[in-house]
Order: sequence, then C-alpha cells, then structure tokens
Amino acid sequence: MKPGRKKQNPYLIAGMAMTGSAAGLGLLGAFWTPFGTTAMSAAERFQAPSLRHLFGTDNFGRDLFSRVMQGMGTTICISLLVVLFSAFFGILLGALTGYFGGVFDEAVMRVIDAVNGFPSILLALVMISLLGNGRQNLILSLGIVFTPSYVRIVRSEYVKLRDADYIMRARLMGVGKLRILFVHILPNVLPVLGVSLVIGLNNAILAESGMSYLGIGVQPPDASLGNMLSDAQGFLQSAPWYALIPGLAIVWIVLGFSLFGEGLRRLGE
Amino acid sequence: MIRVENLSVAFDGPEVVKNVTLEFHDGEILGVVGESGSGKSVTALTLMGLVADNARVTSGRILFDGQVLLEAGKPRDRGLYRRYQGEKMSMVFQEPMTSLNPTQRVGLQVDEVLRLHTSLSPRERKEKVLESFRAAGLSEEERIYASYPHQLSGGMRQRVMIAMAVILHPRLIVADEPTTALDVTVQNQIIRLLKSINEKENNAMLFITHDLNLAKRICGRIAVMKDGCVVEQGTAEQIFLHPRQEYTRRLIQAVPGRVKKNRSLEERREPGESLGEPVAEVRNLSVYYRESGNSLFDRKKHRCVVQNADFEIRQGESLGLVGESGCGKTSLAKAILGMNRDVEGKILHHTLRPQMIFQDPYSSLNPAGTVGWLLMEPLRAQSAREGARPMTKEDMKEAAYQMLRRVGLEDSYFHRKPSQLSGGQRQRVSIAQALITKPGLIVADEPLSALDVTIQAQIMELMQGLQQELGLSYLFISHDINVVYRMCDRIMVMRQGKIIEIGDTEEVFREPREEYTRQLLAES
Amino acid sequence: MRYLGKKLITLIMTLFLVSAAVFLAFQIIPGDVVTSILGTEATPEMEAKLREELGLTEPPVKQYFHWIGGILRGDLGVSYRYSRNMNEMMPVAELIGDKLPVTLWLAAFSFVLILLISLPLGVIWAKSANPALDAVLGVLTQASMAIPSFFLGILVTYLFGIVLHFFVPGGYVSYEKDFPAFLGYLFFPALSVAIPKIAMTARFLRNSMLTQMGADYVRTAYGKGCTRRRVMYGHVLRNALMPVVTFLGMIVAEIVAGSIVIEQVFGLPGIGRLLVSSVNNRDFPVVEILILYITFVVILVYFLVDILYRVIDPRISEK
Repeated sequence: MKPGRKKQNPYLIAGMAMTGSAAGLGLLGAFWTPFGTTAMSAAERFQAPSLRHLFGTDNFGRDLFSRVMQGMGTTICISLLVVLFSAFFGILLGALTGYFGGVFDEAVMRVIDAVNGFPSILLALVMISLLGNGRQNLILSLGIVFTPSYVRIVRSEYVKLRDADYIMRARLMGVGKLRILFVHILPNVLPVLGVSLVIGLNNAILAESGMSYLGIGVQPPDASLGNMLSDAQGFLQSAPWYALIPGLAIVWIVLGFSLFGEGLRRLGE
Repeated sequence: MIRVENLSVAFDGPEVVKNVTLEFHDGEILGVVGESGSGKSVTALTLMGLVADNARVTSGRILFDGQVLLEAGKPRDRGLYRRYQGEKMSMVFQEPMTSLNPTQRVGLQVDEVLRLHTSLSPRERKEKVLESFRAAGLSEEERIYASYPHQLSGGMRQRVMIAMAVILHPRLIVADEPTTALDVTVQNQIIRLLKSINEKENNAMLFITHDLNLAKRICGRIAVMKDGCVVEQGTAEQIFLHPRQEYTRRLIQAVPGRVKKNRSLEERREPGESLGEPVAEVRNLSVYYRESGNSLFDRKKHRCVVQNADFEIRQGESLGLVGESGCGKTSLAKAILGMNRDVEGKILHHTLRPQMIFQDPYSSLNPAGTVGWLLMEPLRAQSAREGARPMTKEDMKEAAYQMLRRVGLEDSYFHRKPSQLSGGQRQRVSIAQALITKPGLIVADEPLSALDVTIQAQIMELMQGLQQELGLSYLFISHDINVVYRMCDRIMVMRQGKIIEIGDTEEVFREPREEYTRQLLAES
Repeated sequence: MRYLGKKLITLIMTLFLVSAAVFLAFQIIPGDVVTSILGTEATPEMEAKLREELGLTEPPVKQYFHWIGGILRGDLGVSYRYSRNMNEMMPVAELIGDKLPVTLWLAAFSFVLILLISLPLGVIWAKSANPALDAVLGVLTQASMAIPSFFLGILVTYLFGIVLHFFVPGGYVSYEKDFPAFLGYLFFPALSVAIPKIAMTARFLRNSMLTQMGADYVRTAYGKGCTRRRVMYGHVLRNALMPVVTFLGMIVAEIVAGSIVIEQVFGLPGIGRLLVSSVNNRDFPVVEILILYITFVVILVYFLVDILYRVIDPRISEK
C-alpha cells in the first residue's frame, strides 16, 4: 500500500474504545465494585442516577453501576467462551468436511443445513430444555448452536481452496494431508474467519442476553444484563433508567464489536 | 470525422492516458495495441462516454462529426452522449457472458437499442432484431431471440453483442479485446465477421487488443500504446516492417511468430548420441471424469475425457500439446501427474515425481507464505518422505537461495510475499518451486497465457535456458500455436479427448496430416 | 414439475427426520417424567397408573409411531404441567390452539412491515449519491442491528406507550373478540420485531445493488444510451433482488425467533411465551410439538423461497 493512501480507520478505533471500556469495566467488576452486586438497601430503592449511584439503584436498592459492571463481565465472558467453543469445532469439522468431501461431508452438511436455517435462539431454547438451566449449560448449548455457522464458513473456504492451484501443487510435492489442511490452507482461511468471529461474538452476546432475559440463562441473584432488563420491565413507568441502563450497556457492547468487525474488514481490504 | 485530440485522463492518481490523438476514417479499422495497463481500454471507454465517474479528462477533447462530445475541464454531458451511444457509436466488450444481462432474454436486450433510439412498432423492431441476428451470422434467430445468455455458447453471445452494436449502423464501432475470451476457431469467425461488417457498412472501427498478430490480420492502421502514451502510429505495414520505436520492435520480436525457434533436439544432440531415453511413457491411457449428481436422486455420470492416449516424453525434449479448451488437455496432464485416479491404462515414470507450472501465477503460489517458505516447502516434504535423505534447514535455505538466483531473482525476494511480486516475477518463483526438487519432467499448463507479451518472451527464454542447463523435459500445453512452435521439439494435437496427430514440430507445421490440424494452424 | 416432486419428498423426509430427532432427544434426557409430575411422595401404584396412561411402558419405537400417528390424526398428546381439571391432563392441542394465531399474525405483520419499508429504502439508499444520507442511513441501520429485540421492545413500550401514550402497555384484545383492535395492538410489537430486520434487508439490498451496478452488463446498457433510471429499474433491480429473496427467506426464520422474545416483552399470549414457560417447567410434550411446528413453518418457507427463486431466475429454472 502506498503511504499516502493509508486511510484512517475510525471504525477500528471507535470499536476498540467501546469494547475496551466494556471489557475493562467487566473485568474490574469481577474483583471490585463500588457497592457490591447483591448489597441491598431498603432506604435507597429506586434512586435515579446521581453522583453517589451513577446509574441509580433498583427495586432492592442495589447499586446499578455495580451490577452493570458484573453483568457486562458475565456477558462478555460467556460470549467469548461460546465463540471459542464453536470456532474450534467449526474449524475442525469445516476443514475435514470441506477438504475431504464424501459421505461424511454429505451427512454433516445435511445436519448443518437443517440447523442453520433455524433461528438460533430457538435452538438454544431446545438445548437448554434438554440440558437444564445453568451457566455451563448455557455456554454449551450456545456453543453447539453457533458451531454450524462456522463449519459452513470454514468448509466453503476449504472447498474453494482445496482445488486452488497452489494446493494442487502442495499435493504434487507430496506434502502430508494434515500439513496441507492446517499449514497450507488454514492461514488463508483466517482473514475470512476473523471477521465472522467478531460477528459471531455479537450474535453470542445477543443470544446470551436474550436467554437471560427470558429467564433461562444466567440465574439471579447473579447479575447479567439480560436478567436485569427482565426484572426492570415491571418498573418502566416509575424507574425508566432501571431498564434503559442495562439495555444501553448491551447496545454499547454490540455496537462496539460490530464497529470493530467493520474496522477489521476494512483493514483487510 | 471522428477524432480523439490530445486526450489525457486521470483517476485519483497520475494520468493513465497521456496526450493521445487518434483519428478514425470510414471503412478503416484502427488497431490500438498495448500491454495490460497501457491505457488502451480507458481511452476507448472515455471515447464511448463509459469511463467510470471518478475519471477526469485533464486535457484534449473528443470530436464527432463536428460536435464536441467531451472537452477537458467540462463535465461529461450525459444527455448529449446518450444520443450518440448505441446509435452513432457502439461497443463490443471482451466478456460476452458478463456483458449481457443474465436475467433478460437476449432478443429484448438488442431490442432495447431500437426502443431507445427509434419509434418503430414492436413488430418492426422484432423484425429488425432478427435481421441483425442473421447479419451477425446467427441462424435460428427466433430461438436465440428468446434465449437467456447462459443458454448460448461464448461465440453466439459475442455475435449477439455484435448484432446489438451494428443494428443501427453506427458510424463508429469500438471492439475491446472482442475475441480474448473465446476459443481459437471461434476467435477467427468473429474476426472475419467484424472485418466483413466493416467492409459492408463502411464505418470506422476501433479494435483494441494485446495481440499484435491479431492486429496485423485485421487492422489497416495501428497505434501502439505504452504507459498511457501512443508511442507509434502508422499503417500496419509500416509498423511491422519499419518500426521506428525500440518498444515497438521489442513487442514485435516478443510475438512468437513462425520465424524464431530454439535449436531442435536433433541439433542440440551430440553426433552419435541416440534419441533421448523416455522420462515418461503413457500407454493406452483413458481418463474419466465423474460428474457428481446435484442431488440424491441423480445418478452419477461417468464421462471419458481422454481416450487411449499413447505416447512418451523423452529426456531433454519439449513436447507440445495443443487443442481447444475442453478437449482434454488438462485432464491428460493431471493424469500424468498422478492427480487423477480415475484412469485406465499405464503411466510409467522414469525420473523423480514430475512437477507442474500453472497458467495463473496469481493463484499458483500460496499467498500466506513468503517466497523463501514456498521454495523450502517442497524440500521439506521431500525429506519428510520415507527413505529420503533428510536435509537440514540450512541446506534447504541454501538451495532455495540458489534456485532464486537461477530464475533471475535477487536474494532480497526471499522474504517477500507473492502479493508483492509482479506477474512475471511470480511465474519465476513458480518455476523455481517446481524445479527445486530436481524433477526430470515438468508439465507446463499454459504458463505464458496470463502474461504480457514482453514478459512472455522472458519467461520462454528462462524456460529454455533451464531446460538446456538441467536436461529437463517439458510437456508444454498451450492454445497458442506460435508459442508451441517456438518452444517445442515435437507437437501433439488433441481433439475431443483423442490425440489425432503427433510428430516433429517442423513436419507437423509443414505438412499436417489431419484437416483439423491444418485448420488450427491456419487460424493463428 | 419433476423438481417440485423431488423437493416435496425432501421436505417430508426432513420433517420425518426432525420429528425422530426431537423424539430421540427428549427420550435420552435425564430425570423421570412421572416423578416430576407426581412429586416424590406418590405411591408406586399411582406412578404405574400414570405411566400406563402416558404410554410410557411401551418400547420407544412403538412410542414414537404412536406419537407421530397421533399428531397426524390431530392428537398432539397431553401436557405434563397444565391440567384441565383435577383428574384430566390438558391436551397440547387445546393449549396451543388459541395461541398459535397470535404468533402467526405477529410474524406476518412484521414481515409485511419489513417488505414495505426495507425494499424502497434499499433502492433509495443505493441510488442516492448524497454522502450525508448515506452516512445517516449507515449509522441508523448499524445501530438498529445492535439493539437486541427485547430491548427494542422495551424502548418502543417506553417511548410510544409511556411517554407518548399511543398505546397501553400490557393491553391486549383477543383476535376472536375484535380483530381490527387486535391488529392495532400487534402494530408496536410487530414494529419491534421488524426494525432490525428492516435495517438488515435494506443494507443487503443496497449492497446487492451496488455490486450489480459495477457489473459489465450495466456498462453495456449505458453503451446503448440508457438513462441511469432505466439502467436501475430495467436491469440492475431485478438482478439485485435475486439474492434478497433468499435473504428474506432466512429473515422469516429470524422473525419467528424474534416473535418469541417480543411476545414476552409485550405480554402477548402467543406460542413463544408458552414455549419459554414450557422449557422452564420441563413440559416436554408441549416443547416437542412446538419445535415440530416451528420447524414445519421454517421448512415450508424455505421451500416456497426455493420455488420463487426458480420463477424469477432463468438461470436456475433451465437446469
């Protein structure tokens, strides 16, 4: 690239700032919060945002800023684990099916086609109803639900690249199959995968908060942005900040990641 | 009179067309010849008013029968241009498939020209479209009228494009590489068609090509472009017989005419030495292609793409393989390389496993690796194999550097990525990668056709030099008869999966036994 | 026609497979249904009786065919949780019956909103050479895609319900009582489902049109002397809409999912809320039927999209 043409990438910078602040607060929230996440105070119920309580308090007088900190941490952490899980199995299955094809590929793809057409939150609901509530089960079921989309992306790249001239060439040289799969092809898949990982992270955040909102994700008294919203909904008239603040926190994270993803995509171009 | 005067065009950066002046005469075909990036297409698109919106005309103007169509400093007048486009000037593009709307019947697409520029009734319009189809050499006009582009062959699509271009008898037709995407035999029909249209209609034609030979056959006058400038302009005769510019001379020499040829195997052979030993023997080989059905219910089809091939490749020779696309050349090559298991018959190799050089230097090098990694990878694979002599990393590095120098690249290229190389440099790396394990046989599948002519000449030289130095054998696949003539000792002609003729290059060129071969040779 | 037949067979086979998979999945989950219904204090006799009643004593394969056969005859089984009276379990069919139309109307309403708004918006966006409009639409769509649907629902409730008093939060009229009023109550929930999808679809159409505008055939059209308008509507739009059809098919599946959440937000008595509560209560017969039902809808939509695609794209229908 010519030095003069190097454009600024405001997407990347804004995305990094937004996700960075959210992740930082979340991480901090795991160790320290101003008031504690479960400390109730009957005297301080439904306080509007103030200097003492930046985000106000809820119906039990708990400090919302503390709870949002914990909630962001929980949401980001769960989503990261979900994406790691699904990306790992996505790459493994996608590489094997895409490169070798055959009956195994056919079978896997049939299943994935069926699953992929299905709304993800619905599938997660089914998985949860099989596995039962709880944090591990939430990660496991969302992980399983998101795996097919990665299999599909990785597979289609492998299908494309397995007949590329340079891969044919590697085969002619007698390079081993595993080395072709993960040394010759994988680096060329990563740019495509990188962007979809960020998108996947977003989807995971939306799914996690959605599940928690429906009461089948993170269980009270642990704070998660989703279950805070569902608690707050009943007090929309009297304490609108109670619902708006955790909701905006979700938007903040998701917007941050999508800006970050867009920035990555432009960087790759 | 139609004139491009002193035209300069720039996009965001520097000018890509510089002070170009072209004049068009009725009944004359003006050829603009140049390598990719020479500015010939931008000139044509600017003339037609079709250049991208971010293009700026920095100097000059375009005159069409006294009307100024475009002038530097003034915005393009689209309304004015629309009255000329399609009616007084029209264009034929390189890719007939993508140049037609894929979801509209081609008849209607031609009809649109009439709808825009005439007030004929629907019936009259249809009659006129069918007539223009006939004029463009399309029989079964009715069927073609109702067809979608994907239902027609490449040649038919280009004829439709031509019909669209000539239907209103424009004063000027611009043809931008109109035959490049087509097969050799079809190419010739299209060339003849364009020539006859030019004679009949007595209009002016601008013919853009990278192929000097083609320009020589069709054009009355030729302008040679380089880096945005017209370096030389004159009648075809002047250009070919008395080129004034060094660049034109280089271009003409680079074109593999039937004049230059490397020394044949017989001449190179020491007296008394017998004909080379075969490095590979192909005995009664048939290759099959399995078409996988597109659903559970379709039965898989088994098609024979190469029938009973029987020949050998000798030590130190270049064996040329020619034929049109789809004749089975590549399938045969893959079978010889052991990449296609669906074969009958025998392939015997007497040397190390053969390697391949591909057509497209952009897709044959792994974009994720550096040049050094690419060159060491074959050695690593070789020494990892059982029974092979293991090589240390230092040895591999040394061998890679040596190979790099041998193909004419400096040491500094070792750490570069393929994306940082030009097409010619990539092809050099590609050759180096194929040769580093010292195979006896190299299969080269159209190794030149993606390159510019001057680069082509360099790569050809390199390949010939390496052959003599290392005693290599080449199986050289090409659709370009002239390249094969220059490179190969023997030549093999394939048609519809069969080898119909094989013999010494000189003999085949002098006295082809088969009618098809004669046709193939006559056409280039 | 032959193609249609093949597709139909595949559709039926898929449904069959999904039903088997669902049945199997709920067979292997841990925990005894009978204990969970009756509690731990039930006598062995009571347990045996219930087991008999639910048909749980038979081998699984027979149970499956019994279940499938029942579904085909309209007998969807009984809920483990809800009962009609002291002695009778609530049939699933009855449980679902009046909730289904609510969800279907909600989904259909949002789909119409998506079509009506996103397609013109996408075209205008693609055509606009105005950088300001481009930026505004870019930010708006990006933002509305980042808002989770339940939060969007809450925002809509707050803004239109509490601040502007356009509707009463939590209010609802049954479609049997007053259909126009019912649709009126569905408007804001449908809008909440639709907004992110509108953004996605408009964006997709715009990108598709921009891609097509760079295609060679567009240059050919200009070369004939077409105006920009003619190129847009005569050539580009049709080609650009083709991938959008597939995209809209996927959107339908998303709408169904969105409806489930939005029902919760607006307190609509649809199958979404039933599904969520049944999952929480581990009321498997209800969950099984609902999953089958949604699968059926989703597969049917894909089937229709496939056929529609064949109608509008000549390149596929020929093969």
